[in-house]
Amino acid sequence: MARMVKSAQFMQFDTGAQRSAAGGSPRLAVQHRRGNDGLRWNQRCPKTRLREWLALSETESTTVGKKRVTAEALATKQRDISVSEFFAKNRHLLGFDNPRKALLTTVKEAVDNSLDACEEAGIVPEIWVHIQLVGDNRFKVGVQDNGPGIVKKQIPLIFGKLLYGSKFHRLRMSRGQQGIGISAAGMYGKLSTGKPVKVVSKTAAKKPAHYYEIEIDTRKNVPEIHNGKGEGEDIPPGDKGLAYMQKNGIEWVAHYPALDGERSREIASGTRVTIELEARYQRGRGSVDEYLFQTAIANPHVTIHYLDPEGHQTDYLRASEQLPREPKEIKPHPYGVELGRLVTMLRDTKESTLAGFLTSSFSRVSGQVARRICETAKLSTRASTKRIGREEADRLYKAIQETKISAPSTDCIVPIGEELVNKGLHQVVPGEFYASATRPPAVYRGNPFQIEVGLAYGGAAALEKVTPEILSELLAQSDARTLKQFLVNTFDGLGNDAAEKIIKEAGFAARQSPSKLKKSEILELHGAMTNVNLADTQSMQVLRYANRVPLQFQPAACAITQAVARMNWRPYGLSQSRGGLPSGPVTLMVHMASVWVPFTSESKEAIASYPEIEKELRLALQAVGRKLGMYLRLRSKVRQEGERRSIFLRYLGEVAQAVSEINGFDRRKLYDRLLQVAKRKTVEADTQLDDRGRRRMDGEEDFGDNVLIVEQSPEDLLASSESNGQAGGSRQLELALDAPASSPAPRRKK
Amino acid sequence: MAKKKNTVRVSTSSESKRIPFAQLPPRDKKTMKSLVGLADGVVQTAERSRPPHLDIPSRSLSNVRFNQSRRIIEMGSGTNRRELFNLSQAKAYMQTLLVSSGCKQLIEQGKTTSLRGLYYMLKHTIEGTKEETFDEQSESDTIIEDSEVALDVLREELHLYAKSAGSIAGPITLVDSGDEIDCSRMGSGGYTIPSICEPEIVQFKQNEAKFILHVEKDTVWRRFNEDKFWISHKCILTHGGGQPPRGVRRLLHRLHHELKLPVYCLLDNDPWGYYIYSVIKQGSINLAYESKRMAIPEAKYLGLRSKDYERCGLSTSVQIKLNESDTKRAKQIAKYPWFEKKPAWQKEIQAMLSNGFKLEVESLISKDISYVTEEYVPARLKDRDFLD
Repeated sequence: MARMVKSAQFMQFDTGAQRSAAGGSPRLAVQHRRGNDGLRWNQRCPKTRLREWLALSETESTTVGKKRVTAEALATKQRDISVSEFFAKNRHLLGFDNPRKALLTTVKEAVDNSLDACEEAGIVPEIWVHIQLVGDNRFKVGVQDNGPGIVKKQIPLIFGKLLYGSKFHRLRMSRGQQGIGISAAGMYGKLSTGKPVKVVSKTAAKKPAHYYEIEIDTRKNVPEIHNGKGEGEDIPPGDKGLAYMQKNGIEWVAHYPALDGERSREIASGTRVTIELEARYQRGRGSVDEYLFQTAIANPHVTIHYLDPEGHQTDYLRASEQLPREPKEIKPHPYGVELGRLVTMLRDTKESTLAGFLTSSFSRVSGQVARRICETAKLSTRASTKRIGREEADRLYKAIQETKISAPSTDCIVPIGEELVNKGLHQVVPGEFYASATRPPAVYRGNPFQIEVGLAYGGAAALEKVTPEILSELLAQSDARTLKQFLVNTFDGLGNDAAEKIIKEAGFAARQSPSKLKKSEILELHGAMTNVNLADTQSMQVLRYANRVPLQFQPAACAITQAVARMNWRPYGLSQSRGGLPSGPVTLMVHMASVWVPFTSESKEAIASYPEIEKELRLALQAVGRKLGMYLRLRSKVRQEGERRSIFLRYLGEVAQAVSEINGFDRRKLYDRLLQVAKRKTVEADTQLDDRGRRRMDGEEDFGDNVLIVEQSPEDLLASSESNGQAGGSRQLELALDAPASSPAPRRKK
Repeated sequence: MAKKKNTVRVSTSSESKRIPFAQLPPRDKKTMKSLVGLADGVVQTAERSRPPHLDIPSRSLSNVRFNQSRRIIEMGSGTNRRELFNLSQAKAYMQTLLVSSGCKQLIEQGKTTSLRGLYYMLKHTIEGTKEETFDEQSESDTIIEDSEVALDVLREELHLYAKSAGSIAGPITLVDSGDEIDCSRMGSGGYTIPSICEPEIVQFKQNEAKFILHVEKDTVWRRFNEDKFWISHKCILTHGGGQPPRGVRRLLHRLHHELKLPVYCLLDNDPWGYYIYSVIKQGSINLAYESKRMAIPEAKYLGLRSKDYERCGLSTSVQIKLNESDTKRAKQIAKYPWFEKKPAWQKEIQAMLSNGFKLEVESLISKDISYVTEEYVPARLKDRDFLD
């Protein structure tokens, strides 16, 4: 069947080419092979590809083969391809390649939809993600939001029809794009377990909620409703409804988690989708846990309650109540439009004149600009759009490139913002220093985009947070052949060196198999993992985002990773081996916001390198690098001075004692004198700390804008020196160092 | 942290037994003055709000000079500044003052102690830390030597002594702390040379010896003593247990200068033997400030020589192969100014290096048990075949 689908595609192209060759416009025919935006088929996002393929098969398959007998014969078979068959054979295109990824994709599509819905409705999102193991390799995924809810008649369409949505045909910054994801997830669930998608949606506290069990009629691509005689069920509001849901096993979170001393509020509106599917749950890289963790960083206005299949509850609480600004929809910029797209647009436009077409279809094209384009193209401004041929289109395309057109407006992009990047990172990643930089918007090929970078320094590595129980689960799940491989694959920011260090510390053989460890050995490994100081060997953790959605795969192919590795981090106080990621306890988040994010491949996991994007990435990384460098230099200076003083203080008492024993001078008096000298000698420690305190109070930061410093307690600062010498001296020292020691309280609870 | 109570300090335990300053012997008065001067210096700099420091004459090769006319190693004028407010020196500064206060107490109480004794006296946990004032005796030993040069006093003037090492036998009568010692009647072990051999402690009463034979180690010394070499050759027999300690060197110096006895050394034919000879003859680099009291520029090197392997017809089995550090040290010694201008010594060191092996004095025993006492040394003495 797969072969058939493929051959059908090829046949269309072949016949198309032949047809157009016959018709004398081969150039145009080539454009048929491309998508609307001129990208090659295999470069395009799978959903777009599917959608276009479906559209083509509807509109053109009937025309194919009119001129050739062989084609006619083939055409009869082409009609039989259904969405479900295509999907079943091409599930990898939509992110369902393997059971593990299927789980991630399902959660991801549901959460992305929820976030988009909440934000569009102006509701600060709160999301519940419940994953439950219900049988062998079977999981029930429930995702609920507090969004606006969906009106009754739309529910079946949204969840039971592929390619139904609001986001595809607009050029606007949003998470999802095609409206295919959640219904595809439902279809995957149906294919793998036979269970329908369950949807509960409520639009207001006083209105009834709707409950549907839906599946897609895969032949016709229409929803099929199972419950309530094909009409769904209405659940009355209030306690009565709750009782009804309880009785019928309908899952719904009715209340927000109770705050201290308050009654928990009822969730007025929202949608919950529950899908049962065949999947595999695994922690580590590319997992659901990681996706939610990263989502929480880039969406500081979101609260996520996550219950994993093992019953651990993780809450990512929002760091900000402020919703991001609603992104504006824009028309395409002429520079970003390729010839093929231009031809399509010309064909589809409702405008009759060329000038009208140019001004109405593109942004930044005024009447004057349109006139200039037409002049350069040697076309009349009043030429009919219907009569623009291939050659004229070509001239028009060239004329557009030659005409000076101002850059597209950039208010269509909504960055997270430096302050919120810091907050988001601080909320989720433990650390002592946070810095961020948001670049001004820039344009690549007519598409506005914006780069922002956030950096957290000093956080503990992922493996320090692992408990022995989780570790043994991870070990059991892992298919790595050696322990080293296991460590490197499972934990982010853990390189080969660090893994070797841990294995050596635990006293294991180099090629120890991870699955054969005894209980005591696991404890030993856990001990080694928490004991080994990995600050030096830990490599930077890079979190990549496109329009606030984490990119979890293909890091090496991504322009972001490449830009981070290519930059020289040494001047900023990090060590880095040639061509690699820098090492150190650093978490970096890089966000690209754009109306159109250029992905390198159909899997939408890596951003393509355009010179403009590379440049913006470099500048943003340098900006946070400078802030980090300044912080690290200051920190090491303060620490050195502090250490110096503590060493002096330690000996002052002995010196004073010895001198007073020799010449009878008052010990106390001499000690005080020496202490004064010591303080003057190490005055740097005081000034810097005072400076820092003052700066912080005034809010004017020397590190540049938007830097967050988590005060370390003096003990941490002087970690290497066990004590600070004589009591009197150390008291004063502590006073000098003692800024309010707000420990970086991890607000994640497990 | 639980505050450990400091180890009991000497001052508090025996304050009553202090000897008033006026009653101190004049030598101790002088030492006391330098000690108090040191402490006053700290107070004065502190009063002026200046960081205190000590200038300690440098005890390294770079700060010693070979005095050609006196033929001894002398200390140069170079000093190392030791500052309290310098990370790498703070602890050493503190230790220097501790040593000073310890010595002050010893003087006050009219007592002496060994280097190890002082180490224990001053060792305690610094208040409020887990750090010890001294971790090892070697630390306090170095600081004591620093204090000697810094205060320009001798170790014995600080009421300190090293553990005794080295023996003497021969037709000489000494008086040690009032006791008469006849060194010809000291049995198989000889009389142990005390670590302080100053005229106040040790006096020479009667002497019949004509020269001094200094050997490297105890085993060889016993051979000579058992064979009654010192009777047949009318000589004083000493050993220093390897590198001779200050007591042995001081005694040799006094015997040489006061009784005009020439000194001959019988040492191993290796870089370490050469350096023992060098220390006896010119003084050591480390204790260059003591050279004038200890060096014996007229001392002669009697053996073993590189040529002895062939001259005495020794078997190959007594050869000890030179290792890397031997070779390195030999080349280093050859470059010392006091060896550099002596062609005979350059030839000797070169010969050893080209031999590729070293020889211990004990190797002569392979010829015959008493070969060294009956043939080797008498022959060298007769031929006056020495290296200078």
